[in-house]
Amino acid sequence: MTRLPRSALLFIAIGLAIYAGVYYAAEWLVYRTGKSNPFFKIASTERVEFDWLILGASHAMPLDFADFNTRIERETGLRTINLATPGTGPLYNRFVLENFLREHRIRNLLYVVDSFAFYATEWNEGRFMDAKLLRRTPFKLPIAESLYRYIRYEGVDPRAGLDYLTGFSKINNRERFTIDVWDGEKQFERIYRPSAAAVRSRIEYLYPGSAPSAMLPRYFEAFVKLIERSHAQGICVTAIKMPLTAQFRNQLPNEEAFDNAISALLDVSGVEFRDFSRELDESRFYFDTDHLNRAGLERFLDLHLKSLLTAPCRGK
Amino acid sequence: MLFTSLEFFLFLPLVLAVFALLPVRTRWLWLLIASCFFYGVWQPWNLIYLASVTALVIVSGAALGGTKGRGSRILILAAGLTALLGSLVAFKFYDFIATELERLVVPAGVSLPRIGLAAPAGYSFYIFSAASYLVDTYLRRVPFDANFGHSALYIAFFPKILAGPIERATSFLPQVLSGLRSDPGRLLLGLQLIGWGLIKKVVIADNLAPLVDRNFAIAGFAAPLELLISVYFFAFQIYCDFSGYTDIAIGIALLFGIQLMENFRRPYLSRSTAEFWGNRWHISLGRWFRDYLYVPLGGSQAGKLRRYVNLMTVFVVSGLWHAGLGYGVGWTFLIWGALNGVYQWIGLATRPFWRRAGELLPSAAGSLPLHVLRVLITFHLIAIGWIFFRAPSVADALTILRRIGSRLIEMPGLITRYPFTDEHYFGLAAIGFLVVVEVLDERRSIFQRLATAHVAVRWAIYYLAIFALLLLGRWQAKEFIYMQF
Repeated sequence: MTRLPRSALLFIAIGLAIYAGVYYAAEWLVYRTGKSNPFFKIASTERVEFDWLILGASHAMPLDFADFNTRIERETGLRTINLATPGTGPLYNRFVLENFLREHRIRNLLYVVDSFAFYATEWNEGRFMDAKLLRRTPFKLPIAESLYRYIRYEGVDPRAGLDYLTGFSKINNRERFTIDVWDGEKQFERIYRPSAAAVRSRIEYLYPGSAPSAMLPRYFEAFVKLIERSHAQGICVTAIKMPLTAQFRNQLPNEEAFDNAISALLDVSGVEFRDFSRELDESRFYFDTDHLNRAGLERFLDLHLKSLLTAPCRGK
Repeated sequence: MLFTSLEFFLFLPLVLAVFALLPVRTRWLWLLIASCFFYGVWQPWNLIYLASVTALVIVSGAALGGTKGRGSRILILAAGLTALLGSLVAFKFYDFIATELERLVVPAGVSLPRIGLAAPAGYSFYIFSAASYLVDTYLRRVPFDANFGHSALYIAFFPKILAGPIERATSFLPQVLSGLRSDPGRLLLGLQLIGWGLIKKVVIADNLAPLVDRNFAIAGFAAPLELLISVYFFAFQIYCDFSGYTDIAIGIALLFGIQLMENFRRPYLSRSTAEFWGNRWHISLGRWFRDYLYVPLGGSQAGKLRRYVNLMTVFVVSGLWHAGLGYGVGWTFLIWGALNGVYQWIGLATRPFWRRAGELLPSAAGSLPLHVLRVLITFHLIAIGWIFFRAPSVADALTILRRIGSRLIEMPGLITRYPFTDEHYFGLAAIGFLVVVEVLDERRSIFQRLATAHVAVRWAIYYLAIFALLLLGRWQAKEFIYMQF
């Protein structure tokens, strides 16, 4: 071997060794600073069995803000784990569920339904590519295998797999030293001051393009697969819609048609569906346009959630 | 395709590998195919614009080559230039002019027709390349043994198509004609330039951008100190963004054995605005304006008054050329160009005074403190111009100037009390690092320093650069500012 290729190989070998060290440090930081990411929660929870698993997008997340999950457990006597992830639809939630069920068992699944998450690829396939999620997802071979299947069969961008394998988003994480707390959690105690402009801009963000979308059947199918997967393991599924202010709810595009469609789908699938979106109309129960604050959650827990979680399964 | 995208990191080695395997005489064709793919892969419509411009250049060039009469040749040149520059003006300005006419002149209720077509990425750059090709063909500077394919490659060559440098056919075509070959020295220098360009773009420019974008968007509400920081940050953001792109482009071209012209030469170390615009900032555009606008207008040989008028014309036209740079088409660019023209006027008018002062105080003229002072004054004059360049409107630019100006005296006190964030500290550190490198580079090229450094030092610097890109780079960020031309 001549000098140039030998030097090049040595350079690459040293580079790879440094990369391995950086990768290890980044992975270590994921565990040091992890909190909200569903895969971090799965990897770090010591319990194996739970009574309830909560899935959904950001509207379900306040149920785990601050000490609220502990409070739910204390008041219901049940073991609950919340793996809801901001801006995620049924496809990503199914990915979370499948990975959770590898080493854990649950009796019930509470799925918080949001119409926006059924309309756009941004909230489904697109979420697999999101650096904010990838950079906080610990590396596990089973997750990599599962991701590969989603790339192969569900149309997820292969770059998501490449990113996960190389750990690029973790290494490149600009918030590597800060605790992984969703911005909403920092405002949990806040009271929302109604703003029509804020609602408009939030709806535009959640519903990119114009609803209804051609993607709806695809994500209904993904949701049905999630339900079937749960039923196959003997898990009772309940779907709910969280409370919303009238100001927000009234601007949701095509919401009535969506409600009818999802009700019919859940009915056929043997899933109980409870729509609480017309409850807790006042803005004092929210910390922003559409997320319950502590006062709102306390009221919701007393009025509905406690009885819902402790009642016997009414679905399949 | 962005130079900072994963797709490009797959595209480049593939193109390079095939290039290396092909016989030298066919390599230009492969580069032409790769360039068309690069330009059209995400926006196939772009290829229609590119093909139209290329066809126009080839047809006009062939007609110029085959015509002997001076009058006919002038007519062909004028027709070609009108078509090229006319399309640029139409795409960039027609809708803006129509809107302004409706607002200021046309009676209420009357609406003027719109084109509704935006120029594709890089259009301004390859139109200028095409225009220079026609003029140089007219002047019989372009080699006649170049075939149509070579000319098409000159327009479309992918490293430079989106944001320059605005290379001349007189330099590009002879390299293609003599056969495209690379060697380890060029490969290494090319990779070094690509690495340095990426650091400037993704580590420095894109990390400065969020703070700049935020504060320029709320000029009326941001704290004056925050606005001042944003102005400084923008000066370095635009420099690192554009010169980073250029370094990458020159580096990539070197991998294929093509030497593109230098486009930036440490501009913020200029001691006058004339030096900044004449020799250090966007050199290929400056030379284009000098050779194809300033000199034909008479340049500095047509009398004192004409010289002043010519200078202002060049800077106003340059301002208009920059309009639409992602910050909208507006009057701000005209003011930016005119302001820099005024700087040139002042520089020209006071030149005898400074020369005399230098003769009277020769020791002071060459002193380091005076040198540094001149650099700082020049930087601040340029930075004031950048406010108009970046602000969304003239009103916003004036608001920024007014708000900074009203609290300027209090700034030292404000700095001690200001709640600086990690974003500020990182930006300052990145700028500090850049300035150190540029000062070192001014004395002796950093690439020459690298070449003579011990292998351990050289490799350590390479690893630091690579891992700085991985750890600190903002890869999910935006496209290059100048690509939006």
